Amino acid sequence: MAVGARRGSSYVFLVPAFLLYTAFVVYPLFTGLTYSFFSWKGTLRAGFAGWDNYAGLLSGAFLDQLLPALGHNVLLFAGTMAVQNTLGLVFALALSRARRGKRALQTMFALPYLVNPLVIGYLWTLLLSPAFGPVNALLKPLGLAMPWLGDPDTALPTVVLITTWQWVGFPMLLFSAALGGIPQEYAEAARTDGAGSWQVFRRITLPLLKPAMATVTILSFIGSMGTFALVYALGGSNGAPAGATDVLGLLFYRTAFASGDVNAMGTSSALAVFMFTFIFGSTLLLERVLRRKA
Amino acid sequence: MRLAVAAVALAAAVTACAPSTTASAGHQGKITLSVWGWGPEANFDKMFAEYEKLNPGVDVDARSFTTSTEYDTILSTGLAGDSGPDLAWLRAGPQLQPLVEAGRLLPLDTKDVPGLADFDEGVLRAAKGDKDGKVYGVPFAVQTLQVIYNKKIFADNGITPPKTYAEMLASADKLKAKGVIPFAFGGKDDWMLPIVASIFGTAHWGGDEFLADVKAKRKKFADPRFVEGIDQLNKLKPYFPENVAGVSYTDAQILFSSGKAAMFPGGLWELNFFGENAKDVELGVFTPPTPEGQGLMPGFTDGSYGVNVKTRHKAEALKFAAWLASKDYGRLYTDTLRIFSAVPGVTPEDPLLAEVATAFDQHGATYFMNEFAYGNPSSAAVFSKALQEMLLGRLTAKEAAEQLDESVSTWL
Repeated sequence: MAVGARRGSSYVFLVPAFLLYTAFVVYPLFTGLTYSFFSWKGTLRAGFAGWDNYAGLLSGAFLDQLLPALGHNVLLFAGTMAVQNTLGLVFALALSRARRGKRALQTMFALPYLVNPLVIGYLWTLLLSPAFGPVNALLKPLGLAMPWLGDPDTALPTVVLITTWQWVGFPMLLFSAALGGIPQEYAEAARTDGAGSWQVFRRITLPLLKPAMATVTILSFIGSMGTFALVYALGGSNGAPAGATDVLGLLFYRTAFASGDVNAMGTSSALAVFMFTFIFGSTLLLERVLRRKA
Repeated sequence: MRLAVAAVALAAAVTACAPSTTASAGHQGKITLSVWGWGPEANFDKMFAEYEKLNPGVDVDARSFTTSTEYDTILSTGLAGDSGPDLAWLRAGPQLQPLVEAGRLLPLDTKDVPGLADFDEGVLRAAKGDKDGKVYGVPFAVQTLQVIYNKKIFADNGITPPKTYAEMLASADKLKAKGVIPFAFGGKDDWMLPIVASIFGTAHWGGDEFLADVKAKRKKFADPRFVEGIDQLNKLKPYFPENVAGVSYTDAQILFSSGKAAMFPGGLWELNFFGENAKDVELGVFTPPTPEGQGLMPGFTDGSYGVNVKTRHKAEALKFAAWLASKDYGRLYTDTLRIFSAVPGVTPEDPLLAEVATAFDQHGATYFMNEFAYGNPSSAAVFSKALQEMLLGRLTAKEAAEQLDESVSTWL
């Protein structure tokens, strides 16, 4: 009885958080959902539209933008995994062996992610500018000058590299923490049994890093799917050049704020619901698969 | 007790904010008209001070939102609630329609705003509701598109503004040989692409006549004349900065203002920018000629002053709108901002502006993109991207034009 009463009263303490969560998370999400089922005249709600706004997303002209944008999000995720998180792991391993300056180096690697992505994007457009940029000025004598952000073939890989530059400290910190949690005894025991350092890494370190990898993967996925500020600063709202850096976030921005379409509110709400459902669903799925393996 | 005091204070505040039933003067005998817009606030203060002098009972409070990309959102939110201004700058054409459809604006007629009767029909169209054909704003500016050039670089190289197409190319060759970039143009910010395409191409497709044919579905953009017009971007590519699709708008501005480039194809608003950021560069303007001869100078209405349907001072707001449509204001606007006022019959003081005004009078045309910027995704966005792909060599001019046709067919 006493326990039950205590538990009952403990729920009272959840009320403020619950109210805040409802007011600032549940309510806006729900509003967005309802908006997507109405047709709009500017900011004025007109009639019930059923699935019309969703059908609009799948109409030829819009789908021509939606699919490439989604594809670029997925490519960004793949690029982030391949470049940023691999480098993050390499740095973490290297740092775990460092005898001195470990903390200083960790801070230095992590520093860029304290800077706003818009600022980072702006800095890199200046650095990579074909007219004034120092990067090409340095590379030109070597014959290695590249169009970087000016060519659709190199633009997205450049975005991946800049993202890596900014965020590599993040997987590095997570991997460092995970590495610190692996007892030395395992590796020592393996070495006593004659395992080489590659075998120790492959058979002991890597399997024990799996939970950290799952976390990094899921966070990278959410980050890549929701990216906006950096690509906006690098290629503007249309994902220049020629839409090569267009992503869902930019498409949403254009639809909601820059299209001038009378029903922009309806279409963009439907797009927002699609994005939320897609990211939420994929994350759940990813989580399932990764946790099971881990 | 404290609560009671707060309640009383709140009640007092609410009463103070409540709309006054009498539209005439308030308690202090002075009413405040709030105006929202974009661009430098100092300009507004300077212009509206004149109105305050003429109308001692009115205080015009101008607020400027420098982040022009967010202005639309701020305005539509303000007008939807009670926090909106009495008057506001409105976008032209398609971007205006969401506010019109939502019923946020007061339709204006010549009874309240007599000056509207004298406005050019083409100018006024940008301030009209597409469906009801009513006028919702007093247009404030007309922008023209042309080539701006550095007079000193021209003189140093023995070049004068070209009279023929061949002369233009010869001059560009000469500049290039001297290591000067002929045209400062960046294709990375894709909104610049249709602007530059229209500067060099409008005369090729025959200006307004061609646009009327497309609107009436007698012709398509894939018409050889239009294709030839936008193909000018490809033909002039050797005279643009290297890797042009990677050069941003600001890069192009800096190329010109730093004297690395001799010409800048762009809008009249650039005169203000260069006037402030490249004070030592003496500017001139010309309309690029075509192989057939005389070129056309495209122009468009930039925006208008609209009246909030919920304004508490309707009579005063309309009186102010009437002043905004007058020649007095037109002159004030042109001389303060160095931009053409949309008010008809205003002669600019600035000699360069006067020169452009004459050229526009003689060889003016409508900027095609603003007339075809409807749809979601908007045809302007689709075509800007297609032009970028054309500049990158991924599409031919004809394919780019076909993409525009396809996009236009979704709403025309």
